[in-house]
Amino acid sequence: MALQGILVVELAGLAPGPFCAMVLADFGARVVRVERPGSHYDVSRLGRGKRSLALDLKQPRGAAVLRRLCARSDVLLEPFRSGVMEKLQLGPEILQRDNPRLIYARLTGFGQSGSFSRLAGHDINYLALSGVLSKIGRNGENPYAPLNLLADFAGGGLMCVLGIMMALFERTRSGKGQVIDANMVEGTAYLSSFLWKTQKSSLWEAPRGQNILDGGAPFYTTYRTADGEFMAVGAIEPQFYELLIKGLGLKSDELPNQMSMDDWPEMKKKFAAVFAKKTKAEWCQIFDGTDACVTPVLTLEEVVHHDHSKERGSFITNEEQSMSPRPAPLLSNTPAIPSFKRDPFVGEHTEEILDEFGFSREEIDQLKSDKIIESNKAGSKLWILYPHSNIQK
Amino acid sequence: MALQGILVVELAGLAPGPFCAMVLADFGARVVRVERPGSHYDVSRLGRGKRSLALDLKQPRGAAVLRRLCARSDVLLEPFRSGVMEKLQLGPEILQRDNPRLIYARLTGFGQSGSFSRLAGHDINYLALSGVLSKIGRNGENPYAPLNLLADFAGGGLMCVLGIMMALFERTRSGKGQVIDANMVEGTAYLSSFLWKTQKSSLWEAPRGQNILDGGAPFYTTYRTADGEFMAVGAIEPQFYELLIKGLGELTLLKMQQEAVSSQARQTLLSVKRPSLQPKSWGTVWL
Repeated sequence: MALQGILVVELAGLAPGPFCAMVLADFGARVVRVERPGSHYDVSRLGRGKRSLALDLKQPRGAAVLRRLCARSDVLLEPFRSGVMEKLQLGPEILQRDNPRLIYARLTGFGQSGSFSRLAGHDINYLALSGVLSKIGRNGENPYAPLNLLADFAGGGLMCVLGIMMALFERTRSGKGQVIDANMVEGTAYLSSFLWKTQKSSLWEAPRGQNILDGGAPFYTTYRTADGEFMAVGAIEPQFYELLIKGLGLKSDELPNQMSMDDWPEMKKKFAAVFAKKTKAEWCQIFDGTDACVTPVLTLEEVVHHDHSKERGSFITNEEQSMSPRPAPLLSNTPAIPSFKRDPFVGEHTEEILDEFGFSREEIDQLKSDKIIESNKAGSKLWILYPHSNIQK
Repeated sequence: MALQGILVVELAGLAPGPFCAMVLADFGARVVRVERPGSHYDVSRLGRGKRSLALDLKQPRGAAVLRRLCARSDVLLEPFRSGVMEKLQLGPEILQRDNPRLIYARLTGFGQSGSFSRLAGHDINYLALSGVLSKIGRNGENPYAPLNLLADFAGGGLMCVLGIMMALFERTRSGKGQVIDANMVEGTAYLSSFLWKTQKSSLWEAPRGQNILDGGAPFYTTYRTADGEFMAVGAIEPQFYELLIKGLGELTLLKMQQEAVSSQARQTLLSVKRPSLQPKSWGTVWL
């Protein structure tokens, strides 16, 4: 696999960091997830392909353990607010002095500097501060954050993987690691560069929710079907729009011009009335295989059974019969091979990892009895009581 | 810069490809954008750091020009539907025979295979087919696509940069290029893995728009202010939520409410409008 032999140490956090580390694991890196002793289970649910070490970083001897791991690793991924690692004597100067090849990735919401850098926040806050949230939402409604996908995962986790890959590639030439400030405000803004680049164009000339791409256009939105399901329409170009009209059984000469924005509200009502007359399956019969840019809005359950995904094998099943998306993109020679196994229990691999990193049996036993580390090979007794356990189908 | 010396040939398309190539240019690659002669301007608006070559690929001699460029390049990025490059005699077998180190990145909506692979589409269609669109939208409304950010740029362009970087890194060991099938349906689904991983958890137990992260919770949404602007609230954890309530002044007010003896006094307190927020905030504050 592409990242064979790359060692990653991930300090446990929520969403962005775990996703970043999971992508690295999917593509072949060996990922050690460092969690607090006493954590019952991995709340991130993104533990695929990782091993878990339970370690108390707040204890100086715990921090020293991490230092030894990082001395032999390629990537450290930490999600803490600016200054936290420094306080633990685990900042980049120290760890990169031990290991100049270490790539020190710092994945936060607001970044390593700036007036907001020590504040708490979540996806919606970073999205708001990036400027991007102000563009998203229906006409007459408040701006709407699309779950936590844009800042946590796209501008956060994925952007950080990119930074790590850039640094890994660069290191093949320079032999040196780097410090990466991957933050969700800037990551989300950069991802959305197109908005700034087209800011003054006609693409965004109307208020939020009244433009082509933000829900204003009747030919770029979703419609409800007779069975309470939905179809997505994306027929922007005239030739595709023609096919949309045809499929709806309407006549273009009886309709206003496609780009007549004043007529869009009326046209939406008209299209909605037509869509409401047939079921999702009936609309798929009409539009599948055409260039009308009309597709079903598949649910998470439906998508795994849809012909296109089935033909491509887009979804994978693991040993617990859970389905999830296959890693993307597809590489022809060294494809990602996501782990088939269940996610690790917290502290499941503590001892084997320390052993691999050169800790003696005596050292490991001492760390255990002093509660610096925790070893939990059988899984926490408490996880069965939680409805969110790994075993849940 | 990280990508110093890397040569990228980008075949012009909209949004995802241009963004992918712009990121590579930003990080130091030399990017040549190949556009059709007769195009008036770069509609993508994402031409930063690139140079432009106008070339008619449909002519055999035009295709031959591209072949020569690719023989000396590191990355080819093409956005056409499955089969188009093959028809132009510019498919991966041919170009990688010329140059085994070439990374051939194919960035499309539906992918190189599958029943939808030769169809037209846009961000909203790929988002719909990925399953992700079905989770996004307010209570009682149709699913809502957040502009073209999720499929075009995140699951598309950015995911493709990732694939290219993986291939570039792998090539430092193997000496060989690869073919990358970067498509927006799968890219967007993979980006959103968290949704599948938490599918059965309480995070999504309510219908669309009624959960914590999709607009259902009063402490994770946006509010309109007195001047018609908006504030974003993301106070999930109890200690942050406390600070939210404190900031809204509700704690004081609720305490006063508890101390109010007569129902008259309670009525008076309940009717006090907060000048900074809509009445919606009232219905959502509880003990």
